[in-house]
Amino acid sequence: MVCQIIAIAVKELKVLWHDLEALAVLFAMPMFFILVMSFALEGVFEAGKKGHPIELLIVNLDEGSVSRQAIDDLKRVEGLALIETHHGIPLSIDTVEQLIRGKRYPMALIFQMDFSERILQGKKNMPAQETTVSLMVDPVMSQQLVAPIRGTIQGILERSVLMAQIPQQIKQELARYSGLPLLSGIGKPLEEKFSAQYFKEKGTAGIMFQTIYPRDFKRDRMPTSTEQNVPGYTIFGVFFIVLTLAASFHQEKTDGTFLRILAAPLTKASVLIGKLLPYYFVNLIQIALMFAVGVVVFGMKLGHFSSLVLVSLALAASANGLGLLVASIGKTEAQINSLSVLFAITLGALGGMMVPTFVMPEWMKTLSLFTPHAWALAGYHDVIIRGLGVCEVLPEAGVLLCFACGFFALALWRFRFN
Amino acid sequence: MIEVRDLYKSYGNTQALQGLSFQVFQGEFFGLLGPNGAGKTTTITILCGLLEPSSGKILIDGRDFNSHRKTLKLKLGLVPQDFAFYPTLSARDNLLFFGRIYGLWGGRLGERVRAVLNIVQLMDHAEETVKTFSNGMKRRLNIGIGLLHEPEILILDEPTVGVDAQSRNAILESLQALNRAGTTLLYTTHYMEEAQRLCHRVGIIDHGQIMALDTPLALIQSLGEGLIRLELNRPIDGILLKELEQKGTIKIVDDEGRKLHLTVRNKEGTLNEFLEHLEKRNIEIKTSDVLGANLETVFLHLTGRHLRDSLV
Repeated sequence: MVCQIIAIAVKELKVLWHDLEALAVLFAMPMFFILVMSFALEGVFEAGKKGHPIELLIVNLDEGSVSRQAIDDLKRVEGLALIETHHGIPLSIDTVEQLIRGKRYPMALIFQMDFSERILQGKKNMPAQETTVSLMVDPVMSQQLVAPIRGTIQGILERSVLMAQIPQQIKQELARYSGLPLLSGIGKPLEEKFSAQYFKEKGTAGIMFQTIYPRDFKRDRMPTSTEQNVPGYTIFGVFFIVLTLAASFHQEKTDGTFLRILAAPLTKASVLIGKLLPYYFVNLIQIALMFAVGVVVFGMKLGHFSSLVLVSLALAASANGLGLLVASIGKTEAQINSLSVLFAITLGALGGMMVPTFVMPEWMKTLSLFTPHAWALAGYHDVIIRGLGVCEVLPEAGVLLCFACGFFALALWRFRFN
Repeated sequence: MIEVRDLYKSYGNTQALQGLSFQVFQGEFFGLLGPNGAGKTTTITILCGLLEPSSGKILIDGRDFNSHRKTLKLKLGLVPQDFAFYPTLSARDNLLFFGRIYGLWGGRLGERVRAVLNIVQLMDHAEETVKTFSNGMKRRLNIGIGLLHEPEILILDEPTVGVDAQSRNAILESLQALNRAGTTLLYTTHYMEEAQRLCHRVGIIDHGQIMALDTPLALIQSLGEGLIRLELNRPIDGILLKELEQKGTIKIVDDEGRKLHLTVRNKEGTLNEFLEHLEKRNIEIKTSDVLGANLETVFLHLTGRHLRDSLV
């Protein structure tokens, strides 16, 4: 049986080798995506719009007026939707970490305890971190998207702080000059007090605004745009095997070679395994090649190798399963072509290959969970961006394998050799 | 060697086989002769285990095919009607692949590939991509693949369809040589001259049933000197039918009783006598023709149809 499987696999490789155009498309298309789109789309991601605002979690450990004012100001920003509670309970740092890790929300703004009091007291010797406002961001988020949001939040925050600080500062300064003639004595000191130089020396409006990641982020540096984009293009390319695989099965059916093979003493399972194996390996080579381009051309870091292999194996299995399913559904070459493209493009788009899922409407986010693409992307992001290990990507790999099993089960139920 | 017992197969409402039964003996060249759609390919597909019959049984060497499928499949070689190989591979690669599928490896495989390339006269083209082959060469390769594992029984489904006369002759000679070497051949065709030339016995099949089964000679002799086809201006009555039956075998082939087939020993004499009888009854002959005795005429007489599909 093993020999027969090998024979089928070797034959299949020879057939593939003789169809160079198909192979060229299979390899060139995703490579083209990586090279062209990585360059072209750098910095092109757009922020949320009124209809699809970016959801911003708010953790307000402060009980003062400054943070409250800042939050109220942020609420008025178009394209941002502030969420302060989860199931009716005010958000804590642990909760937002959990929600961001769970990919439910992309970012959270955290006000430390006594933030307002410290801002208003304006203690000169206070260490910077004690008046810190943190923006916790999911590291898989495109920096191109994060930067404008971060800038917007920071600007509004600084304005709110200043609006609270200025009357306080004026009051303090006036107190120093009580009893002196107003115009001659306090004009110059006040001018100095609120000059740009003053705030530059003091720090931005007296606060430090920092971007942080959830605690499970194990990378020593921020992910690059390539590290964020290459997994998506890779997955997109991997699923193009669906067309090649399904077309090859269709060819065997129409040529009658399947029936001729089955006239020999071997099982249908052997035929299918032998037939699928080369496509599985082609997928793995594809993945390796695409990541190699990322590493060599863009200096991408791949993270934990075993985790990467695990996700890749599961991803290739689900792509092959989908291919067999298309082969079992498609009755003609044209049907197979359109089904393959339909699955590749729509599932890819839905799974977050073209648009990040967090900017999608809620129903689409939920729908994306029914695509293997979304789980593969989550798996690769866990490995490459979050730097997670094998145990931590088991859920994604497991779901991908479930997709593979589901596709194979449906395909075998529908599949006919003639 | 092969015994087909009461085989039925239906596809939805279509009955492809309706109680088909026949036997093929060891070393025999057996032909299944019938038009397209008669049930030949369905019979072969079931025989090779590629299709399940609705009911019925196949025995090979006395063993139930269904119960001993894996072992018995090794005894069978299949040459399908359509080209079933990989056109982008070379002839040798195709043979190597199918040889491995039948469990041939190493030196034995190489030896068999060379032998088959010689049998089908493709040794000089062994390394060429099959898609560049002529139709005749493809036909020969198609047959060669079926011979690789030296099957005891070679099943060929219309192996000469679309082949020029020269290639056809070469193929038929190869098959005769194989049969002489001891291979049992089950051969389907709708070319009566092939069946007549090659087969020890012929089963005439139509609508999924064996209509007649004998040696080609015996089947042809059953027609006597030939077949007379008549179309009358009005139906014949029972008395006239009895009178005519004394002159030869008569068969009414339409529902109205106006179309007749007569098989006779003396064509000219019998036709004159028939004409006299019909004249007495004022029955006119609208059309008539006389067909020579051959398997085509046997088929026509049995089924009312020509082997190549056109209705009489």
